[in-house]
Amino acid sequence: MRKNRNKLILIGLSVLLALYFLYPTYRDYQLHKQLRSLTGADSLTFVEQNEKAIRENRMKRIKLGLDLQGGMRVVLEVNVLKLLEDLAKNRDDAFTAVLKQVREEAKTSEESPVLLLRRAFEVRQIRMSRYYLALRNTNDDVAKYLEDESVKAIDRGIEIVRNRVDQYGVSEPSIQKLGGTRIIVELPGATNENEVRQLLQGTALLEFKLLKDSDLSYRVMETIDKTLAAASGKDSVAAKKDTTAEADMTPEEFAKKHPFFGIAIIDPQNAPGEAFVLEENKLKVQHILDREDIQQLIPRDLQFLWSAKTRTGGEGKKIFTLYAVKATPELTGGVITNARATIDPSFNQPIVTMEMNNEGSREWARITGANINKRIAIVMDNSIFSAPVVRSKITGGNSQIEGMENIDEARLLEIVLKAGALPAPVEIVEHRSVGPSLGEDSIRAGLLSAGLATLLTVIFMVLYYHTGGGVADLALVFCLLFVLAVLAAFQGTLTLPGIAGIILTLAVAVDANVLIYERIREETATGKTLRAAIDAGYEKAWTAIFDSNLTTFITGLILFQFGSGPVQGFALTLMIGIAASMFSAIFITRVIFEMLTEKSAATVNFG
Amino acid sequence: MRLFGKTTIDFMGKRKLWYLVSGSLIGIGLISLLIKGVDLGIDFLGGTEIVVKFEKAVQISDVRSAMDKLGINQAEIKTFGSDREILLRTPQQGEGTVVGDRIRSGLATSFPDNPFTVLKEDKIGPKVGAELRRDAMYAVVASLLAIMLYVAFRFKFIYGVGAVVALFHDVLVTLGIISLANGLIPGLNLEISQNMIAAFLTLVGLSVNDTVVIFDRIRENQKIFRSMKLVEVINKSLNETLSRTIITSGTIFLVLIVLLIFGGEVNRGFAFALTIGIITGTYSSIYIASAIVVEWANRAQRKAELID
Repeated sequence: MRKNRNKLILIGLSVLLALYFLYPTYRDYQLHKQLRSLTGADSLTFVEQNEKAIRENRMKRIKLGLDLQGGMRVVLEVNVLKLLEDLAKNRDDAFTAVLKQVREEAKTSEESPVLLLRRAFEVRQIRMSRYYLALRNTNDDVAKYLEDESVKAIDRGIEIVRNRVDQYGVSEPSIQKLGGTRIIVELPGATNENEVRQLLQGTALLEFKLLKDSDLSYRVMETIDKTLAAASGKDSVAAKKDTTAEADMTPEEFAKKHPFFGIAIIDPQNAPGEAFVLEENKLKVQHILDREDIQQLIPRDLQFLWSAKTRTGGEGKKIFTLYAVKATPELTGGVITNARATIDPSFNQPIVTMEMNNEGSREWARITGANINKRIAIVMDNSIFSAPVVRSKITGGNSQIEGMENIDEARLLEIVLKAGALPAPVEIVEHRSVGPSLGEDSIRAGLLSAGLATLLTVIFMVLYYHTGGGVADLALVFCLLFVLAVLAAFQGTLTLPGIAGIILTLAVAVDANVLIYERIREETATGKTLRAAIDAGYEKAWTAIFDSNLTTFITGLILFQFGSGPVQGFALTLMIGIAASMFSAIFITRVIFEMLTEKSAATVNFG
Repeated sequence: MRLFGKTTIDFMGKRKLWYLVSGSLIGIGLISLLIKGVDLGIDFLGGTEIVVKFEKAVQISDVRSAMDKLGINQAEIKTFGSDREILLRTPQQGEGTVVGDRIRSGLATSFPDNPFTVLKEDKIGPKVGAELRRDAMYAVVASLLAIMLYVAFRFKFIYGVGAVVALFHDVLVTLGIISLANGLIPGLNLEISQNMIAAFLTLVGLSVNDTVVIFDRIRENQKIFRSMKLVEVINKSLNETLSRTIITSGTIFLVLIVLLIFGGEVNRGFAFALTIGIITGTYSSIYIASAIVVEWANRAQRKAELID
């Protein structure tokens, strides 16, 4: 026993660690089961009471792939050719002819469209600067500029899509850049195809909206607060008679008396016209604002809009800002011709410069002239990205926006402003959707077959190898536990091929034990004692297990590298499984046998 | 319980007969591949695929005429599991998801009193299809190369060659059988999709696993019985590992049969390919991988005798 103490501690720790990582998955399942059994108001209160637990467990559980829970996966690609066309000035017949040729070539070519365009121009001996940048620029300059623009277009596309997806409110959306020109969007649980398509396609709407006077915005919010308090506080007379100064109230008391201001916090000194809302309360506030009786309290030309990004407040919590703006936009983003984020050399501050066309400049001069010292919000698809103060009347159309905290914030604003000037032409190149019912069927079939296969294997092992088989079965359980725990710890996603990978892992784990036991039987046949036979069996089987598992692992690695989506899920579980099975099928079983034979050799029997 | 006692089968003695079996299996498979070919899935072809579930059973011919009315005439239409579930696939491409939209609205007008739900919809652009095809090729070639290098490094070069030839054999036989069986068994969808590529790579992994275990025993026995002829060492090793080979392959076979029957429509093709794969993988470890080592040793010996 003493000899194995360290090993036992190691095994115990790994099991505890595995359980620790798997607990959120179990809790999440439990909470959802409870939630499903409740209806109407009960379920709403349940969600409110357990909000934190639901959110946290959801984040840490094993995620299910789109094939198991239903949802959509869309791959968007920037249409670089369209971009090249949009960017060109003085388009003439020669340009149209070149573009047509390049469009044909691009269908089959692997080369970048910019390169194809350049070649086409060079064959015709036309300088690219006739259409792009200034005449003095060389073809190299132009090609570099065009490549830069297509990279920026993808960033713009991602920002537009992210902004819209965030507003759409799917849980756990994933938006990733793939290679140079593609965006993968995964929306688990999304089923409404038309909505999603609108979400991802179409150009972004950029608008400039005047912020409402802060006194007015505050009064509107105050009315909302009072109406809500009156509705909920009819029975609590005490609250009305409460004479305690508001500053002395505990947050709970304050929230009770002010249902709206309790979650939408106002800073009366610095920014009375805007409210700060914790990320977790955003939906709640939006619900209040959407209520019909509340809508009637809001003036017709006032609109509440959210900030697109969160700020990090105290305790690392994320905070959204709620603004009140004039519903009719002052100007739309189509007039912007360019935007650029730079560092202001004289103050060493990040700034964004913005240029407008003639028509826009005239309007802009009028708007800024009439609203000096007021704030104008830059709104894309109904989210506010910045709300700078107008310092002076801007004539000539060149504006400068200051006050960004860092260059990243400035870059984001550049992207947003450009979305008005130059839409990122994206198109759907891949689209997969799985209905929730197919997902359910798949889960059922996957779990049923996994369970049945495991059961058959377990029974067979006990029949064939007696005690040895029992120990191997125990190792199988550990192996399964470890695979799932590692998957949860690395926030991996379980897909249907992933389940297949786990089933195969179990086969590999059984194989390791079969190899060892056959060896032990052979060694016993040569007349060795059981203890000696076990030692020899493990030792001699080791190279075979190691080499065969490593080759399988290599296949898994390559699959993970070259495969995509479902295949990667399979490869991942296979690799995790091989590592876990080596630990459980070799290490754990050995410790168990050593402990069993120490007590009395007669308890162990390999059939 | 013991299924096998000590065996002394002369595996390598009958290897020439088995070459014939393997050769004709591959031959038939190749002929089928040339004539019948395999169905490439939507992943590799590009196009639009949609699976719908109707409330009541529908006739394929009715669905086809509905599609003809829409002008989607190259469509492939088949049942997917039950006769209420229909899979439609067309190579037609359109901007975004217009083809899928057209199919859905067409079905809704043609079957007004038989509502359906969309179980699955895939649209793959032609460029993406070509890329996935290329990636799959890379994955297969890269894993074969990596396996050959690893086995050659751990054993001897000829063992690496033997292992990889055995893998080619397994892939060809399985591909041939898939080509032959495709369309013959109702409810079994055997097109080459990304999942199917994963199945092939898994069978490669399982087959090489089996081969390595045998090679490991040969390596060990060669050290113990230094004066024994290689053919005898190999025969001895094959007999010693036979029990393990049958038990392990048998267990995996059992698991796959379960997956084949209960694993659901989506996993069925995958399980079928692996079931064939585990049979040929077990067989090829003996009659291809080990046999090649024997042939090579015999040739080397003949050469040595000639020089003497």
